[in-house]
Amino acid sequence: MSDQVYRVARRMVSTREEAEDLVQDTYARAFRSWQQYTPGTNLRAWLLRILTNLNIDRGRRVQRTPDQQPLEEGDYYLYNRLESTMSDDNPDEDRVLERLSQNSVVDALAEVPHDFRDVLVLVDIGEFSYAEAAQILDIPVGTVMSRLHRARRILKQQLAEKAMAA
Amino acid sequence: MGCGCTDCEKMMQPYMDSVLTDEEIAEAKEHLAACPPCEKRFRFEERLRVFVRVSVDEPMSDGLKAKLAGLRSLL
Repeated sequence: MSDQVYRVARRMVSTREEAEDLVQDTYARAFRSWQQYTPGTNLRAWLLRILTNLNIDRGRRVQRTPDQQPLEEGDYYLYNRLESTMSDDNPDEDRVLERLSQNSVVDALAEVPHDFRDVLVLVDIGEFSYAEAAQILDIPVGTVMSRLHRARRILKQQLAEKAMAA
Repeated sequence: MGCGCTDCEKMMQPYMDSVLTDEEIAEAKEHLAACPPCEKRFRFEERLRVFVRVSVDEPMSDGLKAKLAGLRSLL
């Protein structure tokens, strides 16, 4: 379980050191407030709730105003942009995906604004369910879904930009 | 571009997340079977999700593992 906690923490903050501090503090607080955990309830969601609250308390989150959020393109945008750079008229999807580098994913994810990124990190990277993400972030499930959808679109747009610049 | 049907593009995320009704799933599948450009974009999306997860994975350091084990032993 700690691997999953770390995986999420690592993408919620900028550096490995911050992520390690955050995970360590999360476990320290969890052990201190163990009596607040109700046996039989979702332990990993409880831990992640502690982690996200600590992260907010540390003031590491710089909230963006809505007009600074990237414009959104549709769900096919990344595919269409990548395909347009290829000489092959009808490449298969694996070859299109090869246009992306692993490093560009790390950089693109860091560009997604916090509120959106947190949901994406929990669901797509931490493999938490919508219900768990809602519990962890203390937002309704519908908000999880709408933020997730926007987060993925923003990520794909960032990936397209990075692939075009490469 | 895909087949130009924006309905399909809108259905991509809910389809991937398995939150459509049975009727909507049947509708999407029927369309995808008849529309190779959309089908390819849906397959790309599936692979992209895995690629994103794998790309950002960074294992915990041994130092952190040891610290967490140390915290546990305090219980």
